[in-house]
Amino acid sequence: MKKLFIAILCFATSWAQAQEVVSAKQLLTNLAEAVHSRNFDASYVVVKGKAMEPYRWLHGKKDDTEVEFLSLLNGAGLEMVRVGNQVTYFEPQSEPYAIDTDSIAGPIPEVLFKDISILESHYDFVLGGKGRIAGRAAQLVRIESKDENKYNYWLWVDVESSLLLKAAFVNQTGEMLEQLQLTHLSITEEPVAQLLEIAGRDFPKALPKVTTQAAKDAKDNWRIEWLPKGFELLKSDRHKLDLNNELADYYLFSDGLVDVSVFVQRPLPGKRPSGALTSGATTVYVHNSGRFDVSVVGNIPAMTAKSIAESVTRPL
Amino acid sequence: MTNANKHASLEQTTSDIFDGEVGRSAEMLNGLEHGKFVRYALIGDAMRAEKEKSICIDITAQVAAALESEPTYNMSHNEQAPDIRAEAVNDDVKSNVISLARYKKPLAQFAIAASVCLVALVGVNNNTTQSELNNTLPSLQTMPLTGSVSPVSLSTEQPAIENAAQGLRELQQQRIGALVLEHQRQSRMAYALQQAKQLEEQKKASDVTEEQN
Repeated sequence: MKKLFIAILCFATSWAQAQEVVSAKQLLTNLAEAVHSRNFDASYVVVKGKAMEPYRWLHGKKDDTEVEFLSLLNGAGLEMVRVGNQVTYFEPQSEPYAIDTDSIAGPIPEVLFKDISILESHYDFVLGGKGRIAGRAAQLVRIESKDENKYNYWLWVDVESSLLLKAAFVNQTGEMLEQLQLTHLSITEEPVAQLLEIAGRDFPKALPKVTTQAAKDAKDNWRIEWLPKGFELLKSDRHKLDLNNELADYYLFSDGLVDVSVFVQRPLPGKRPSGALTSGATTVYVHNSGRFDVSVVGNIPAMTAKSIAESVTRPL
Repeated sequence: MTNANKHASLEQTTSDIFDGEVGRSAEMLNGLEHGKFVRYALIGDAMRAEKEKSICIDITAQVAAALESEPTYNMSHNEQAPDIRAEAVNDDVKSNVISLARYKKPLAQFAIAASVCLVALVGVNNNTTQSELNNTLPSLQTMPLTGSVSPVSLSTEQPAIENAAQGLRELQQQRIGALVLEHQRQSRMAYALQQAKQLEEQKKASDVTEEQN
């Protein structure tokens, strides 16, 4: 009798756990569906340490085409417009350019707008508590890294509309490093007029699609021996950096949620110690390995960036 | 007394007068060239940083002269502006694109500098706390630990080394700014690349299964 009871108990808890995973994932799926189907006008701020960036975010459907607008409101600004499957970036430093993709790469990881199941092999989806965010009832969903080499991502989803209300990069000790918080959200039947006006404009032609094969040339220049589990090489090439015209061998890695850039460059003169700089969740680790410098940039812990940078060697 | 010596001694006296070392006499002042008088007075005032006697530099004459020699621009580029607009209207694609982004152009340089600056400053701020908390991970030392307090005039090499170190720090900050900007830009394409890669893999997988069949 006792054995039976324990067996039932075990079954019940495992069933409950399975149920929980499904519903956390379901919430994320609902979120992805909601950001593509609803007409909304939202404002949010991104807080990184002492710095704060305010954004305005509009989304709507004109006929069957999605129109989305994201604008950084402080400083010289930055505007991103998506019409259907093309995103155009208007930056203060350069000519506007467009990319063929169906989601804007802003402060919210793009995977949250899409199929999040690609994260399942390296992250767990866990349901958290309920709370009140931006004046609305919110459900916490935690995307927890399976190992210690990456940050966790927590999201608060609006119970009513399934839209995002708050999100944060959280380190392994539970400290929030970078937060995104909605301050205003209105969901309407029709898209806002401003969005319809933007949709009527013409945009530059999208840059030619870079396939993974076309940009192979720098792949064999350096060996990156260690990366956290789940990171894949998306792109590698040798190019000059825009700001200081310095040549770099460049590698872009992603695990679906976060992107990591690895730069290998000629060393700067003088003896400099290696070290890390952080801003919110973003880490810049500069490693001086003598005959070349390796820099790692991404939303990863400094120790992870250090390990990646130190694993870079010349191929024999 | 040679002529050169005489000249030197006169200069010395002039300087002394304005440093308040020698009592001023009308005779001495008369002996001074007017231009030199004005210059020395200015130097003396500046060095003593006298608040009551404000330093007065009369540049009106130079400005007037400069203005006179300044070429006059007729405002023809204003008249050209409508032409440009008309052209742009003909070329619809261009006109709309430009109009969304145009107002940002003058801010471009500022924006670059600001982004670099932000990263550097934030980094330095975090540095101190981070190195206190975590000794196993070295942080970039962007400020000199010693140096500025070393006694002046003992070594002439020290300032040169410091200057070089300062230059290097600036170079490094510039590089870090460039890296962060590049990372931002490249990661915009990351998701599109990831999707392309997955499609490729799916296609490969389906090809393999077809072959097996």
